Amino acid sequence: MKLSLSWIKDYVDLPDDADLKKLAYDLTMDTVEVEDVEYIAKRFENMLVGVIEAVNPHPDADKLRVCTVDIGDGESKTIVCGGINLKEGMRVAVSVPGAVVRWHGEGEPVVIKKSKLRGVESYGMICASDEIGLGDLFPASEEAEILDLSAFDVPAGTPIAEALGLDDVLLEIDNKSMTNRPDLWGHYGIAREIAALYGLPLKKFEPADLDASSDFKVEIRDIDRCPRYIGVEMSGVEVKPSPFEMQSRIWRVGMRPINALVDITNYVMLSTGNPTHAFDADNISDHIRVRRAEKDEKLLLLNGKELELCEDDLVIADGEGAVALAGVMGGAKDSILPDTKRVILEVANFEAAGIRRTALRYDNRTEASSRYEKAIDPERCDQALALSMKYFKELYPELKVTGYCDKYEKKLKRAEIDVNLRWLAKRLGKDLTDDEIRAKLEILGFDVTIDGDNMHVIAPSWRSTGDISIKDDVMEEVARMYGYDNFEATSFTTAFDGAINQKEISLVRNIKEYLAIRCGLQEVYTYPWMNDVFVNAVIGDTKGMLRLSTPPAPDLSYLRSTLLPNLCEAVVKNERYFSEFSIFEEAQVFADEEYTSVYDESESLPKQRRNIAAAFAAASGNINELFRRVKGVLEYMPRYTHMEGFGFRKEEKPVWADNVVWQNIYVGDVKVGDLGLLDKKASMACGIKNLSLMLFEIDTTLLKPLISRTNKFTHLAEYPETDYDISMLFDSSASWEEIREAIAIKDGGLVKKAAFVDEYRGKQIPAGKKSVTIRLTIGSKEKTLTSEDIEKAAGSVMKQLTKRLGAELRAQ
Amino acid sequence: MKDKIERILSEAKARIMGAPAESELQKVRSEFVGKQGALTLLLKELPKVELSLRPEMGKILNVAKNTVMELIDEKRTELKLKASEVSPDFDCSVPGIMPANGGLHPITQMCYDLNDAFRSMGFEVFQEDDITSELYAFDKLNFPQNHPARESMDTYWLEGHDSGSTNEKLCLRPHLTGGSVRYMQTHKPPFRFVYPGRVYRNETTDAHHERAFFQYEALIVDKDITFTSGKVLIKSILSKVFGTDVPVRMRSGFFPFVEPGFEIDMQCQVCGGKGCSVCKHVGWIEVMPGGSPHPNVLRAAGLDPDEYTGFYVNIGLDRLVMMRYGVDDVRLFHSADLRFLSQFR
Repeated sequence: MKLSLSWIKDYVDLPDDADLKKLAYDLTMDTVEVEDVEYIAKRFENMLVGVIEAVNPHPDADKLRVCTVDIGDGESKTIVCGGINLKEGMRVAVSVPGAVVRWHGEGEPVVIKKSKLRGVESYGMICASDEIGLGDLFPASEEAEILDLSAFDVPAGTPIAEALGLDDVLLEIDNKSMTNRPDLWGHYGIAREIAALYGLPLKKFEPADLDASSDFKVEIRDIDRCPRYIGVEMSGVEVKPSPFEMQSRIWRVGMRPINALVDITNYVMLSTGNPTHAFDADNISDHIRVRRAEKDEKLLLLNGKELELCEDDLVIADGEGAVALAGVMGGAKDSILPDTKRVILEVANFEAAGIRRTALRYDNRTEASSRYEKAIDPERCDQALALSMKYFKELYPELKVTGYCDKYEKKLKRAEIDVNLRWLAKRLGKDLTDDEIRAKLEILGFDVTIDGDNMHVIAPSWRSTGDISIKDDVMEEVARMYGYDNFEATSFTTAFDGAINQKEISLVRNIKEYLAIRCGLQEVYTYPWMNDVFVNAVIGDTKGMLRLSTPPAPDLSYLRSTLLPNLCEAVVKNERYFSEFSIFEEAQVFADEEYTSVYDESESLPKQRRNIAAAFAAASGNINELFRRVKGVLEYMPRYTHMEGFGFRKEEKPVWADNVVWQNIYVGDVKVGDLGLLDKKASMACGIKNLSLMLFEIDTTLLKPLISRTNKFTHLAEYPETDYDISMLFDSSASWEEIREAIAIKDGGLVKKAAFVDEYRGKQIPAGKKSVTIRLTIGSKEKTLTSEDIEKAAGSVMKQLTKRLGAELRAQ
Repeated sequence: MKDKIERILSEAKARIMGAPAESELQKVRSEFVGKQGALTLLLKELPKVELSLRPEMGKILNVAKNTVMELIDEKRTELKLKASEVSPDFDCSVPGIMPANGGLHPITQMCYDLNDAFRSMGFEVFQEDDITSELYAFDKLNFPQNHPARESMDTYWLEGHDSGSTNEKLCLRPHLTGGSVRYMQTHKPPFRFVYPGRVYRNETTDAHHERAFFQYEALIVDKDITFTSGKVLIKSILSKVFGTDVPVRMRSGFFPFVEPGFEIDMQCQVCGGKGCSVCKHVGWIEVMPGGSPHPNVLRAAGLDPDEYTGFYVNIGLDRLVMMRYGVDDVRLFHSADLRFLSQFR
């Protein structure tokens, strides 16, 4: 919301030399966030009033004129201009070199320089209103119409801002910071707050003196939705422009001046925060009724929108039907037209939530509805009425009030709250005297009675529509007026009754750090929703997935049940720039199943797990190496992250995996995840071009962190152990798992360990066979083994392998 | 002659000791003990020496010659051992080979930095689910029934769970605070915990707005807490994260779930408070809302607001990271773009 400083000064005597930076700072710290302080005159730098002395044709262009202009520096300037309404003696706005304008009010701002136009030297530019940002204040009736300032009796050379009285400052306030303060939605409200902050007097409105004795009538049929309605019927008005200062103020804060009748209502709203409306009285039949709409009742709004209303909508109606959508927008039937001679002024109060529902229902939020929905107090109608009547009388000396009715049936009850002063002192962390507290509240309009430890406060009417309702609200007011920054910071004291030990949470962090720092993976974050393309490519089936009802895009509606589709998408994005990389993500996955109520029995939440998944991308080719790399990352993960170890089995192929290259990951007998190669079909459907992709995904909620480190000390071998490599030929279908089992290492035997070194297929190896190299660790507890002993031990392993698996010794 | 020998010998010794390389030893060898070497020449002159002195002189000369040869051999061995295994043009300025080229997401890094800071002050880390009900997202947080945030244009509701009463309506959590109520319901006060997590808002994205972003909530609930004690907490945490003393200010702010509520600003770390484009020339950056949990929120968590009170902050991690590194587009965090992510170590 934009506020004009000069307007605020109508109500509070801020000194002329008030430090605006400090004002903005104080308002920001104590009340609302001032986002910007704008000196309006800055927009009009290097723009002066010029008086045209002569208009001559351009020798070379039919549409251009060569003007001689006095801009007050004692020397007539030649300015080329294409305006259609140029004439001698006319006062115009001249942008001299350095001014910033927009050509024809459109496009990027341009800095004016001296230039030649079709061969004629031109000093600056004679401007149309929209070229210097005044299009709304001085609407041009046709294109190429120059802004005529002849009505402003100022000498040539007067800066435009000064000539138009625009030496004003705008405070721009963040609307979000005042949604809870309906009292601040107008210049008067902010003035009242400033008056309180600085202890300055606030001006009061002269009450409107109206005679209630006519038979003019207003009927409120729903006093909950309309606590108060004032109608004033007047004749002797007409449609004409409002005074320039009124137009200018309305324009300064971002609205558009229309005509005097409409401008008065907007001006009053911008002043007091209470919307008002003027109906053409000749179009109202019978008396005004405020009632709920009938089902399917039709209403044509003044913006041309035709609505079919529902029973929840509140309307202003006459004897024939609805004429306005209460608190939101007037109707077409009763709107102010050029021939309007009599009006009914509406100054009313409507209930906030209903206005909000209606405005939203028809997607029709207006300046009025956005104020009503903050919950305005009905007492404010008095101010709005007073100010309205002041301007009606000023602008229409012939005005006659022919009818007046103030229906105020649901009186506002000012909020009353008891506050224990010891509680207050404790929460403030500070002992303020009763008088200090009283002064801070009274200046804000509270009535305060202190009796011992109890303080009874009555909130002012403008804070009583929900804003102030509990003792904590009162504490906030005291603290705010004292200044949050003036409280000394105090520290907490708490007794510790144990070290923090959160195994599950530490485990996830350990895994992430292991992957990132030890294994060289980059962590990524992707959205919780998946792109249909990748859902289809990687999973295919959407059964059991949850879906958003209003997704960010139609093809982003499924919530992820696995992290893999999004990881594949990330791989595709990065394939353009990298040929080998690995990434991982840790996030929640969702399933439309296993609903539980953990915290509140009325609630029922779906199964939500926390997964970690990784994608290892490498140039297609060496799948064996890629597979072993990924498996190594998984095999060593438990060791570095302190959890129970993984087992690998082939039980259930993941849908996305290659037919051969996959395993399931187990902790004990519980399957916790999968690893595998993304199959060719899925990879192509994802749009992966040249990379092979190994994936794994584990459910971290199934992992078992160790209670403590579980290392065991064993005595160092007393006699040396020897590594002894054997290479044997196996059927190529024999798995390492089978070979390892066949070696069958026994406790106390000489063979302590058998480790996989590598396997080889190809040249020199018969078809259907593979050579596997195994490293045996051989040693004894009793003595140093001789080479015969070692060879004998290795020999027995080889015999075993031959017997069990038909392995043959490979020529060394 | 004896003196002469001594002189030659000591000169040879000095030359050998100072020899920087093998080549110099060659030179010394030929100059002193080679065919035309100084000692060799003296030997040749031996017949001219008086007969009675000749044996002694001969002996001295031979000793001297041997000494020089031995010293040269010793020095040669020493030079060999000292010499490099590679040629002298080995380039030590080439970069090293990276051990492993991975990293944590910058948001995670910030989150862990904060976790470490808070844990050192006795806070637990809490974690909750992304999908929640309207009951916890809004009702229990004192949001009025008609609050705009409840609408589908602000919150992501789930299909098939988007109508009915608030306990039946499910959404992606729009903020973390509802989860804090879950913590309070299931733990015994006093509480000290932090709650990092991602939240979701249905909005149009641009460089400063995202549909998914990260919050970091910290909550203390105890008896007799003054609302200003939060200031110390925030200051120490931010100072730890940024590694320097970060000025902080608290100003009036409104959020339904706190009373009183604050906007907490930190001094702009880009310009040091002088004013720059990052802080829109005010020198301060809004980093978090804070305040005392509203009595209705404490009630919803099963606590008596007359007995307990607390202090709460909710840090916007994205903004803090943007601030820390000068990142100018919030959407990069969810881009999974390695060109961006690999910059953060």
